[in-house]
Amino acid sequence: MSSISAEKVLPSSRTHRLWWWRDRAIGIAVAWLGLMLLVAIFADRLAPYDYAALDLHHRLAAPLGLGGTIAHPFGSDELGRDVLSRLAISIRISLLIAFGATLIGAVLGITLGILAAHFRGWVEQIILGCIDFQASMPFLVLALAVLAFFGNSLLLFVGLIGLHGWERYARVTRALAMSANEHAYVIAVRQLGARPWRVYLRHIMPNIASTLIVTMTLAFPDIILLESGLSFLGLGVQPPLTSLGNMVGYGRDYLTRAPWILVLPSLVISLTTLSISLVGDWLRDRIDKTLS
Amino acid sequence: MVRFIAVRLARALLTIAVVVTFAFVVLRVSGDPARALLSPETPAEAVEAFRKAWGLDAPLWVQYARYLFAVVHGDLGQSMRDGRSAIAVVAERIPVTLMLTAPALILNLLIGIPAGIYAALKRDSIADRLVMMVAVVGFTVPSFVLGLVFVLAFAVELPWFPSGGAGGWQHLVLPVITLGLGGAAVLARFSRSAMLEVLGQPYIRAASAKGVPWPRVVTGHALPNAAIAVLTIVGFMVGNLIAGTVLVESVFSWPGIGSLLVVSVVSRDLAVIQCIMLVVAAAMITTNVTIDLLYGMLDPRLRDLRSGRR
Repeated sequence: MSSISAEKVLPSSRTHRLWWWRDRAIGIAVAWLGLMLLVAIFADRLAPYDYAALDLHHRLAAPLGLGGTIAHPFGSDELGRDVLSRLAISIRISLLIAFGATLIGAVLGITLGILAAHFRGWVEQIILGCIDFQASMPFLVLALAVLAFFGNSLLLFVGLIGLHGWERYARVTRALAMSANEHAYVIAVRQLGARPWRVYLRHIMPNIASTLIVTMTLAFPDIILLESGLSFLGLGVQPPLTSLGNMVGYGRDYLTRAPWILVLPSLVISLTTLSISLVGDWLRDRIDKTLS
Repeated sequence: MVRFIAVRLARALLTIAVVVTFAFVVLRVSGDPARALLSPETPAEAVEAFRKAWGLDAPLWVQYARYLFAVVHGDLGQSMRDGRSAIAVVAERIPVTLMLTAPALILNLLIGIPAGIYAALKRDSIADRLVMMVAVVGFTVPSFVLGLVFVLAFAVELPWFPSGGAGGWQHLVLPVITLGLGGAAVLARFSRSAMLEVLGQPYIRAASAKGVPWPRVVTGHALPNAAIAVLTIVGFMVGNLIAGTVLVESVFSWPGIGSLLVVSVVSRDLAVIQCIMLVVAAAMITTNVTIDLLYGMLDPRLRDLRSGRR
């Protein structure tokens, strides 16, 4: 924020070239994310079979190009379920969970951040204490403990993943709302008699939204990694439902005999988190460089 | 300085208290362990006997008091699976996990920090771009995918290393590299931005302007200041490492705490999970307190801060 270095003002030809490459990479990342979104939306039309339909005559069938047939273009798994169909549905489930969880985390974190900034005093201290606690424990371990004892339903699972990362939003919102409270426009609106909720929702939120959106983009890959990690361990999304991590987890028993079961979902997870990270970094550089 | 240490220790104790209570709340309020553990066909008398044996028939606050009393006395109950004390079950796994995490942490630091500093010093060069590209890939590829890629490449296709289990040093290579690379990527990114931040400061320009040779500016002025920022993230890295261990141990069937946690979660072994959570919390708190004390040593400015909110 403070340093405007010479090459930013007068780009050399080399930095120009690097930017050009970066823009191409961002373009590809956005295209990939668009593709994933389309697959998620039209998953049931794309899938040639029901994702849970068994085909015991064609177990562990190889994909097209490795000696397989068009019947199962991406191959089939140990129960003869079509990998393409499962992949499409898994992308839908994983993205749905990630969006739901991000929304929960953002709403919770922003609310707590605003409460801390508004009330200050002991309310703020308690919220800051919770942030410290959350940041000091590896969330995967907490999540495993909770899952063990609440049992595992999809709703609980999404809520639990939503709890991951709320502290980022809370921290950012608190800091931004506190500095906004000092700004003339907020003081003016308050002097005019606006209620606190109106000040925060109508006046402060639009001004800090861009930073919060960047935070959300930066937090999104973590959410996908957490969901797929838990599902990989067999403690996340439960069969018969399927998710990307789930496919990798169950596919690893057939790593040598049928690697196609886990290669595609692994690739999808990696490329998706990579694309979101690239887009997030790019957005951060454009909108708010102070975020980390 | 005494005050600084006292505040840090008080906060550490508070965090332990929160973790202990959290463990109790999550583990006891969430459902009936007797129901969860015994099959539905178990006769009612047997369920009652089980409840009595584990003290599950008392009111919740009595259970909480008993629990606190037991924890303070170092008694974390018995593993419900094999009846041994939970502490013993967990303790025998700790060195096994440390065999993975300690070399992985060293690998993190040895790769991550030099790579980040180099990238920052050569800002916007091809080398910088390459390091950062590898780093982004390194922390967005999930550790379990990386582990499976290594198994496929170096255990199946090229049978150089075993694909899992514990044994000689060969068993350590793949899991340690898997754990080490992910963390190194995070550290490289962070070290780079910390270093860039420092290099943009006026005192660096002042040092250069008065004629200090550039290598001396870097080692004498930039690195010590960047080190403070990098230290901040080491605590976070240890947390990441613990979470990563759970996944990587599962990939390589390494018999450490992570595998024990997964098995205990599947079989709902209350006491062992509680014990693991306390061990993890203790590890994190020790790390954070150590880092806080190191701050005090590295940076005299921080000693006088009251509660040291970063």
